[in-house]
Formats: sequence, C-alpha cells, structure tokens
Amino acid sequence: MSVLDDKERRIVGFLCNWCSYGGADTAGTARANQPTDLRIIRVPCSGRVNPLFILKALMNGADGVLVSGCHPRDCHYALGNFYARRRLETLKEFLPIIGINPERFHYTWVSASEGQRWQEVVTKFTDHIHKLGAAPKWSEVPALKDVKFDLVDAIRPLGCGTHPALAELKAEIKKALPDLHGVLGWRKGYDAIHAEPFLMQTEAEVDELIWGPFNVQNLANFLPKHAGKKIGVVVKGCDSKNVVELLVEKLIKREDVTIFGIGCNGTVDYKRILAKLPEDAVIESVVGGGSGVKVTASGKEYDMPMAEIAQDKCRLCVKPNAVISDVFLGKPTIEPECEDGRLPALRFLDTLTLEERMGFWKGQMEHCIRCYACRSACPQCVCRDFCVSDSRDPEWLTQEDSVEQKMFFQLIHAQHLAGRCTGCAECERACPMDIPVFALKQQFGRMIKKIFGYSAGLDLESMPPLLGYELEEANIKERDL
Amino acid sequence: MRIGIFVCHCGSNIEATVNTAAVAKKSLEYPDVVFATDTMYTCSEPGQDSIVEAIKEHQLDGVVVASCSPRMHEATFRRTVQRAGINPYMFEMANIREHVSWIGKDKDANTNKSAELVLLASEKLRNNRPLFPQQFDVTKRVLVIGGGVAGIQAALDCADGGIDVVMVEKTATIGGKMAKLDKTFPTIDCSSCVLSPKTVDVSQNEKITLHAYSEIESISGFVGNFTVKIRKKSTYVDWTLCTGCGSCIEKCPSKKNPDAFNEGIGTTTAINIPYPQAIPKKATIYADVCRKLRDGKCGVCAKVCPTGAIKYDMVDEIIEEQVGAVITATGYDQMDWTQLGEYGAGKLPDVVTGLQYERLLSASGPTEGHIKRPSDGLEPKSVVFIQCVGSRDKSIGRPYCSGFCCMYTAKQAILTKDHVPESQSYVFYMDIRAPGKMYDEFTRRAMEEYGTEYIRGRVSTIQPHIRPDGVVGYMVRGADTLLGQPVEIDADLVVLAVGVEGAQGAAQLAEKLRISYDQYGFFMESHPKLKPVETNTAGVYLAGVCQGVKDIPTSVSQGSAAAAKVMALFSKPKLQSDPQIAFVDIKRCIGCGKCITVCPYQAIKEVSFRGAPKAEVVGTVCQGCGLCNATCPQGAIQVAHFTDNQLLAEVNALCQF
Amino acid sequence: MSTFFATPSALLGWLKSVSSDNRVVAPKKKGSVVLFKPWTTEELGACQDASELLIRSTMSAKEVVFPKCETLYELKATKDPSDLSKLHQELIVPNNATATVLFGARPCDARGFLCLDMPYLQGPVVDPYYKAHRDALVIVTQACSNALPTCFCNWIGSNPADEKGSDIIFTPIEGGFVLSALTEKGTALLAKGGFDAADDAKNTAVSEAQAKAKSQLPAESTLKDIPQKVYARFNDEAFWNKEIEKCLSCGACTFLCPTCQCFTMTDKGNQLDGKRMRSWDGCMASHFTLEASGHNPRPSRGMRYRNRLGHKFSYGRKDGDFSCVGCGRCIRSCPAHLDIRTVLSNACEGAQKKGEE
Repeated sequence: MSVLDDKERRIVGFLCNWCSYGGADTAGTARANQPTDLRIIRVPCSGRVNPLFILKALMNGADGVLVSGCHPRDCHYALGNFYARRRLETLKEFLPIIGINPERFHYTWVSASEGQRWQEVVTKFTDHIHKLGAAPKWSEVPALKDVKFDLVDAIRPLGCGTHPALAELKAEIKKALPDLHGVLGWRKGYDAIHAEPFLMQTEAEVDELIWGPFNVQNLANFLPKHAGKKIGVVVKGCDSKNVVELLVEKLIKREDVTIFGIGCNGTVDYKRILAKLPEDAVIESVVGGGSGVKVTASGKEYDMPMAEIAQDKCRLCVKPNAVISDVFLGKPTIEPECEDGRLPALRFLDTLTLEERMGFWKGQMEHCIRCYACRSACPQCVCRDFCVSDSRDPEWLTQEDSVEQKMFFQLIHAQHLAGRCTGCAECERACPMDIPVFALKQQFGRMIKKIFGYSAGLDLESMPPLLGYELEEANIKERDL
Repeated sequence: MRIGIFVCHCGSNIEATVNTAAVAKKSLEYPDVVFATDTMYTCSEPGQDSIVEAIKEHQLDGVVVASCSPRMHEATFRRTVQRAGINPYMFEMANIREHVSWIGKDKDANTNKSAELVLLASEKLRNNRPLFPQQFDVTKRVLVIGGGVAGIQAALDCADGGIDVVMVEKTATIGGKMAKLDKTFPTIDCSSCVLSPKTVDVSQNEKITLHAYSEIESISGFVGNFTVKIRKKSTYVDWTLCTGCGSCIEKCPSKKNPDAFNEGIGTTTAINIPYPQAIPKKATIYADVCRKLRDGKCGVCAKVCPTGAIKYDMVDEIIEEQVGAVITATGYDQMDWTQLGEYGAGKLPDVVTGLQYERLLSASGPTEGHIKRPSDGLEPKSVVFIQCVGSRDKSIGRPYCSGFCCMYTAKQAILTKDHVPESQSYVFYMDIRAPGKMYDEFTRRAMEEYGTEYIRGRVSTIQPHIRPDGVVGYMVRGADTLLGQPVEIDADLVVLAVGVEGAQGAAQLAEKLRISYDQYGFFMESHPKLKPVETNTAGVYLAGVCQGVKDIPTSVSQGSAAAAKVMALFSKPKLQSDPQIAFVDIKRCIGCGKCITVCPYQAIKEVSFRGAPKAEVVGTVCQGCGLCNATCPQGAIQVAHFTDNQLLAEVNALCQF
Repeated sequence: MSTFFATPSALLGWLKSVSSDNRVVAPKKKGSVVLFKPWTTEELGACQDASELLIRSTMSAKEVVFPKCETLYELKATKDPSDLSKLHQELIVPNNATATVLFGARPCDARGFLCLDMPYLQGPVVDPYYKAHRDALVIVTQACSNALPTCFCNWIGSNPADEKGSDIIFTPIEGGFVLSALTEKGTALLAKGGFDAADDAKNTAVSEAQAKAKSQLPAESTLKDIPQKVYARFNDEAFWNKEIEKCLSCGACTFLCPTCQCFTMTDKGNQLDGKRMRSWDGCMASHFTLEASGHNPRPSRGMRYRNRLGHKFSYGRKDGDFSCVGCGRCIRSCPAHLDIRTVLSNACEGAQKKGEE
C-alpha cells in the first residue's frame, strides 16, 4: 500500500501501549486535529522497540519514524523506557553514517493524559518530515564507485623485530601447559607472511609459536569455542580487549582462561605486502628488524617499511599492551596518550554528504557475497551458529541478493555490537571482498563513547551501556522537534 | 488463514469522516481475508452477534475489528471471538476512531489510512498464534506494609474476611501519622481516640501477625506466591518478656534525645515506648543514643527490668513469610522544608511544622496539651499559619497540591483559639481547597466563628526580632495579593503547612516490589481512573498516601478497597496468568544472560539444559514488557503476541518499497 | 587444431562486437578486489588496455550459471469474487538466462563448471534453471602464463593450459594472444573475430608461456589414493577438530569456490504475491545441516570442514576427477590462513600411517 501521493509521507510510529498509545487516544477523544500521515504500531513498551525495527522501516523507505513511550520514571514496566532512551539515542547518533538523516527519526515521551502534547508531537514531526521531503531510496541513489582511502599515519612507532621476550614466553607457556587444555597462539602458516592460529598442546608445538607483525588473527575469537575447558591464550593489546569483553559478558570464565601478553608493535596488512610483489612471487623468507621487514620472494629482496604495510588499526592503536593478563613478559610498548582514531573508511565517510554516504554503502554492498566471514571473525558475535542471517527467524532478512538486504545484515551486526565492539576490526580484515564494514561498528563505538564515555573491553567491572541505564542521563537531552 | 474484517461506523463517530464500506471493500484484497463488512455498532450486542455468525458462516479463524482503541474494546471483542470458538488472541483491532476519524476531516486520507491500519492489523494477525493462560495456586495470606491508618484498615478488613495478614511496620509502633494528630477535621474528634480501637484490634486479632520495628528486606516471587524476607531490627529488648511497665524508661539516664514521635519537639530517653497507646506497647532501645550500647557504660535498664527482657547482644533477625498478595500503605513524609530560606531554613526555633504543632496541641505531647512555643515556653498570642510550604511551587520542583493542609490548618487555627482564647491566628494561603463533606463549612467556621484572618499570598521572609519587652518576635512579611499590598505580622509562633512526599525509602521499596514510582516517591497506580488501587505488578496493591496525597477518610476507603481487591484475588481457587509474556526458544538460546540483566521483574532465570546455560521465563512473574525481546540478539526470547515477526509484519506492511 | 592470433586491440574489438548480442562477463576491478562482472559495449569500446580484462579474479565465475540468488518462480493470485477463499493462481517462471560470453576465466574456472554440471545436469533430475544458463554460456578461457603461490591445479590433474570445460582457450604472448576454439560454440564465436591464423613462432611462444606457468606451480602431489584416505578419516573426529582449530567456519571459502554448488531455498510473500528463491549456501554454515528437530549432525567446525574436504576429494565425484580445481581462492581469502593443501596432505599421510600399522 502506499501513502497518498504528494499529500502524505510515510511515517511510522511505535507507541507504548500504556502511555503514548493512550495519549494518542486521549488526543483523539479530544478531537485534536492531526495530520493523517502517521501509522501507529502498538508495542507493550518503548523498551520493546528493538532499534532494528526503526532501521528496517527506514531502510524500507519510511520517510520518518517516531517512537514514543512513557515519561522516564513513569514506565508501566518501571524501567523499560530507561533502556529505550539509551538505545534510541545511540541509534539516532548512528544514522548519519549510513546516509540517513537523523532528523527522520525522533523519539519522545508522551503520557496517557497528554493528548494535547501528542497532537503537538505528531503535527510538528509530520511537518518536519514534509519539509525534509521523500527519503532517498537505496535503489535510486547512485552508487559511489572507485573509492580510495588515504593511508593514515601511525601515531606510534611500529616495529617488527624478533621480540626479546619470545623465549621467555615459550618457557612460561611450557610451564603452564600441564594444567591447561592448550594455549592459543600463532605459528608460521603456508608462507612466511601468513601466520595461522593454533592450539599448543605439546612442548614441541610451543616451540612453533611466533610473535610479531604477522600475528594478525584475534585469538579471543576462539575462547568461547573452548568454554568449559582450562585454556591459555596469547594476546596482543587488541585481542586482550575482547578477552575482557567476553569476561564482562560472562561468555567465558576468568578462572578458565590464562592470558599471556607481550607488548605489541603492530601487525601487517598482508594484502599490502602482496601488492608490492609480483603476483606470482613466491615468498621465501621474511626478516624483520627495526621499522620494517625484508621480504625475499622468488629470489628477489624487497624492503618494506612498517609505515607502508601495517594494518590500519595498528597505526592508530592506543592499547598495544594486554589490558588484562596473567603473564606479561618483556617491556610494555609505550602507549600513545590519545583517543581511539578513526580508520580510513570512517574518515572518508565523514567527508561525505548524507546522500554520498548512502551511495558509498550501496557501492560497497553490491560486492557483498554474503559469506558472513565478518560475523564469524568477530569475537563478540555471541549468537555464533544461531545467527538470524541463516535462521531467517525472526525474518529480519530475506535471501534476496539486494543491496538493502545485505546492508541490513551489516546494520544488524553493528547494532548487536553497539557498546560491545572493542574495535579489533577483524570483520573488515576477514572480508574477502574488502568491504570496510568496520566503519559501521566504529560509528556506533564513537557515539557510545560520546554519549556514555564508554569504550568496550577495558574494564572487567563495566557494564555494556546498552544493557544498563541511569535515572538521569548526563549526555542525553530530550530534543525539541 | 481465513480472516474476517469488521469495519465499525461507531454511529457517525467513524462513518462521518471515513468511508467504512470502502475500507471493508479494500480489505477484501488483502491476503487471507475472506470476509469483510462494515457494521453500525460493532460493540453492541447485535454487532457482536454478527461477528459470531460470520465466524461460523465463513469458518473464520482470525478476526480484525476496525473501530475504536483497543484500550477501549479489545477485551470485549476477545470475548466475542472466544464465544464463537476462536482463540481470543487470534484477534486484532485497527484503531480508526481515536487515531483516524476523530483527528482529521479529510475523508479520502482517513479512508486510505483506515484501510492501511486494517492491513497492518491483518498482517499482524497472520502472524498471531493461539495463546493460553497458565493456572497456578495462590497462598492466601497478605502482606501489609505500613501500620498507619490505611494499612490498619486494610489488615483488619482482610482479617475479617478470613485472610491471614502479615503486617510490617518500620517504627516501634503502629498508628502512623494519625496517631500523632491531636484532633481530626472537620469533626474535631480526638484522633487517637478514634484510632486506638483499631490499633488494639490489630494487636488482638488472631489473623494478624504484626512485625513492628521491621523492614522489608526483599520480595521475590509473583502474584499468589511471594516470598518476603523481613528484617526484624534489633530492639535490644525481648518483646516476649517486656510487659511495657516503663520502669526502664523512668530510670534511663540518657534523657536528652530528640523525640521522633513528637516530631523532635521535646526529648525522650534512649529506651522508650513511643506513646502511651503504642501498639505493641513494648520498649525499644535506640542504639545510637544508648550509653550502654555506645560506650559500654550504664546498663541501668537491665538492672531495673523486672522480667529481664533487656538483651544488649540482640542482633537483627531476618524472617521469611509466604504471601499471595501485598498491600503497600507506607504513607508519607514531609518534604525537606529547611532548604527554603524564606521560612528561616529550619533555624528559627519558633517556626514549626504542622505535625509538630499537632504534638504541641496534643494532651499526650511534650507540653501536655498546653501551647508553649519551643524557644521559651511562651504561650503564643499571635500565630501565623503558612500554607503551601513546598507545595504548588514549580520554581522548587514541587508543582502538586498536598491536599489536606488547608483543612488541618483551619483545624489548627480553631484549636489555637480554643486553647488560647485571646490569641489571633493568621493564615497565608494561595487557594483554599476544601472539597470534602463538611469541609468548606469547616474552613468558614475558622474564619467566621474563630476570627482567623486569611491572607491570600505567599510569605517572603520571617525575620526574628526582639520586641521592646525583650521577647523574641517573628516578623512575617508577605503580600496580600487580593489587596495588592504588603503585609507584615509580628508573630509569636509560625506554623508551616509543609508539603508531603512519598515516605522516605519508598523508592527503594518500590524497586523491591518492582512497581513504578514518581519523582516525589509516590507509587504509581495501574490506571489513574479505573485502577487506582492496583499497581502494574500483579498482586501488589496500594492504600493511603503512598499512592498520592489524601486525607484520613480517603486513606481508610482505599485501605478497604485494597483489602477487597485482595479478597477478590483470593476468592479464586487458582489464578490465571496473562499469556502475553516472554518465551524462550531453547534451541536458539545461547545462555548469554543479557535478558536476565535487563529484566525489570527478575522474571528470567538461568537454567541448565544438557549442560548448557539457557534462559527460562517464570511465566507468572513476567509482565510482557518485551525488553528481553529487544535485547536478545538472536531473537531466542520472544514476547508472545508482540514477537519480532509480528512487529516485522507490521513494519513490512507499511514500508516495502 | 587451428590457432589464431589477435592483437590486444583486435581482441577488444572482437569482444565489443560480441557484446552486441551477448552479455560479456569478464574480470573487473572493484577497489582492491576483482570480480567477474558484465562489460557493456560502451565499456569495452572505451577500454584502452586489454590487460584490464586479463587479471585474476578474487571471486570465481560460477555466478554466470549459478547466481547468488535466483528467483525460481513467482506466484501471483487473485481472489475469486464469488468465493474469496478460492484463488486464481498464476505461476510465473522467469527466464533468467541470457546469452553470455564468459571471457578471461582461467582453466581452473572452466573446469569448475564441469563440477557444477554434475549435480545440476547429470543427476537424476536436470535443473532447468542451471541448464538454461549453461546452454547460453560460451567460456573463453585464458591459459595462465604464471602461477600464484596458492595455485595447485597440478595436484588435481589439471594444468595452466587445461582445455577441459572451455569453449575457447587463449594464451597471452608477446604482442597479443593465440586463440583456439575447442567446441562448436567456441568455433562459431571465434569466427566472428576474423583473426589470422597463428604462425609457428607464435605457437612456440604459447608452449613456452605454458611451460613457464607450469614451472611455477608447486611440486606435484605425491599423495596416493586420496579419495580412499580422506574417506578413511571420516570418523576421526580428533583429526578434524585439531586440523580445523584455526578455522572460523565463516564459509568465505565456499562462496569464493568455483565448484561449491550448495544452495538453500526460501519462500517470500503470501498467497497472493509470493516468490521462491534459490540462494547460495555452504557446508561451513551451521544452519546448513540443522534439522527441524533442532538436531545438527554436523555440530562442530571440524565436522563441517570434513564435509568440505570430503566432497572435494572423496565423494560426489565423477570419472575420477576431484571436485576441487586447485584455484587456491580458499587459501588466499581465508582470514585464518587455512591451507586446504595442508589439510589434504595431513589427512592422507596420517591415513597412510594408520594403514601401515
């Protein structure tokens, strides 16, 4: 069905049964004249409104979405709207990055007695949506092609020598091994630049352990797979944040996991190494030292400074040392005194207009093959084998090979990670199509930081902000329409 | 499915601005719709009968009624479809009256919108499943929290109805605020004389177990099956031995302690019985002022106690009670008026609160019923009453009226004249609120028969000054807004009608009870008009001022009302739970516990299923808010009737471009 | 066999003319990845450098016959006005196939189509959708003149100039390309180019280029009795779990693979307006084998990978060929850097040891 052409805009409202739906009834009983655009979906509580419903409506072409619940402290269910306030505010701050004007989404509080206020809310919001006009459609926005990101300068010196503490680390792991099911680490993979995760269970295997710029995989990902067993894990700073977050969310137990850390000097983006070599070059050896590596491939030597080959996240890393560890060896890496930086994709997106951003994601999502490696590589993806992408129940997604469906999966992933993502960017590294999907999570991350002053994975005692609430939110102010 | 659509004219309420026939015709195009019609009054008996007939004739298994708000008639139509053999949850309503016909005059737009709302409802209905309530047993005992007059009334009524009552009172005696009052308006009855038969009844009623000097530690469970942990605070006196003889009180050397029962006017001993008619009439030692307990040196009371009841090593005890319902009657406290500088910020000794003045008037009070001002014992000749202290004042965030101050001020002005015939009372007021039976007459008596001078206006300052005779006076300055001129009165005593708020600790109790409360500490009733005694937590009821300001008769009525609610609840052999609650798909649940974290009712617990943690909903505790549903990433926990797929169907019906 | 020589511009010209009545699908660079995508006549006309179409693709070319998501049919219905519960239904089977020239596939890609043919064309039921795509397809294969470190087509009995599965094969040499048609379809298409026959020198250059590529491949596999040995591992769960410890079970390998052929079918819509879709699925996804009861016969990563390796090298094969073409995409794009060659070797060598005991 459609709205009356040129008369109405498609506006969807989610109203809690007890206050706002009642407020709308009160307005009706008082014959308070209102625009006809709004279509109301009744929900038990504003806390029932999964932000994904709002995203779904907006992705499916709604011109505006309005959520209204009981006033804070007046919730029929005591707390529902406190949670809703945090989630909805975070969503509103998130929207611009996917090219949706955040003014198309408004949330507010209207009690059952506030018929007049409801009339004002509907009238003002509808007027505002009419001023904004029809929402741009994904099918109509031109896809942004040939996007190139600038390389970001590293905020700290990156190195790649053999770590002096590696021998000591191996000794410590051997010492701990008898009490453990195994210890997760990295060893040389099918060539010198491709390290692979492995589980050390014998001393001989411990001798295979490597530490250095090729240890790209986040081993925290494997910990929940071993839940219930005593397990050790070697971590970089970034991996350790996921260990913390897994502990915070009680997905693993502290007493089950032994954490080994060494200060990290950055890891490589091996695609950047390969790009510097002829495609058929066979890598024979890699020697690291100082600020770069010397790659020998098909008999030729190539000097590659870390400044050119390091992963983007490592260039901006402010937590190179394990934030949690049982055994920490060697000197900690010097930690830069600054905030988490934006990865290139987010920097680039920040320079675009809303419509360009939509075009950007459209262009990117056209390549998505829906392998969901992004999800599988994510250490915080708790649903694992039960992901809605595959189960399609609840039917958030269809199997249609469309930009909207593929983008919506990314929105589900990002929304599930809001306040939980530690910024390891494994989703992006795992993507065989090189789609910068981490930008969506980083957008949520920086908005969570802005609103709640919170970064995931730093504090065992913390509570992910979207699973909590405050009676008075310091940084959430009710907006006027 | 076979869906039937009924579009109501509601007389002309809908029909005037919506083409209902067109809506019905349009809805025939929707998936699974096999019947659609427009009817005059769907909720009328013939209207309902026509639904039943249509269900039978067209073998409908789902019904949409497009009419008024579901808040109005959802329950009606659910019964209707049930009558025809359809599960009541295979029914949806489209609100085309309050949300369409009454708010816009554009008939085309309204008709189009109505047709869409019908689509929305029918798309949701296509995703509905039959739901069935669960049945469970009830523990027929009630917990009454608070032993003021409302709680007492509720407890006595329940006990009369044959229900066991557990009463928990925070202080050492029941009676509440009413026990502190000298007289009551508008009859000038002796307050304690009216009350004490009831308090004695409580103590003597076999059905009532009283836990005085006790507080609620925790409440778990659900309607019909609450488990209450009660902290019996240590009194240092074995009440089973104490006879209330008072020997200990006479001999206690720590005598200069503020007297809480007397609202801080006068002093009392470290071991005391709050007032002569206290129930239970047992002594309590207050550890913070007892020399033995504080410094270890004394022990006089133990020596003089004839029954050896004094136990200095007594500790708090936690006891557990099983109840099926809870009545909260926790009353009120006065707002902190000392933050208000214009009334001397609590620093002027002869500026007292209304409750303190009651104690000065009371024969059982510190002055034995002689009005003596606290500073020098002078009998006041000029008394100024100030109304709305911390009430009806948006500038200090206290917008509401405290309800009973106008009346008790009039009463106190009358009593002042009775006690001190040569005195003159002045009342600064904003408006006089006297809507009760005989109330307005009463305030007029204060003015007309007792010569109380009413001045409409607020007071700006109270300045102490020394009069020529060396006596301290209080210059009360304000404005008479009717005459539009400043007023200045030299008072001997100033009485403040301090605004009330929910009792201290109300918020914490509300959280234990999982009921809502407002920013002033008043508990939220389930519906302001139609469910003023119920809360949103099934089995928890409200009585008295804890729900909102009210006077004694209204509090008593509400106490009885709450008791009636409990008796109605307990009159059923088994209770039924609302099936619109959360349920867990155990296959999909990964046991991450996020739902448990956010549930406002602790209605979800972790269970182990084949060694894996899983969430499990306690159906009778769950209220169906759906917070868990919005939190669970994989959608393993869904709230029945508002599942993700049901809401998605609605979103998709509206937005599918 | 007759061979023809084309200069880069002649080759582009040929493709451009072909594109007038065919969809030309060829490698196309999209940022840092390369995909098989349609080239329009205009794009081909504007292309100055034929090497743009000769790059190796990150994705396999299977989409031309096995789209990521394909509508199998649409259902439209109207209600009978006399009895609204009666429907007049119409089944619309879309014709998704268009005449397609796949240009720049590698021998491994071309061979991949033969693997896809097995379930879709050679089973008890011929899949009409696949067949339509397949019949409309002409495969123009580029023989490899080099090999990536991850290539291992020689392990599965193929080589950089393998003609199996192609309609035309061409080899880049100095100054241009030597083309030869391998099938009737190929002959007809090549004829449109009007190319000159290649001389001996050019044919020699072809041999040299192919020899060079061959030399870059890893050592020939010494593994024997692979199907039997992989199968013998079937119940060795400890082996699979250990081997697959690093695997994320993400399934990028199956989606990039030229021979992975599994799909899922889903319905969308309602009684009046619905459609059935077939879309890619893969054995690395847990849901792939999830049964309605909730039971999952392949609950672990190890069990899932066992199926992937088993299906490629042990079962579901024909004529002794493996269902792996050795393209190495699964190795290159694996976020865990899992190497299928290592798993295969370990599976076989371990099995051998077991046999010896």
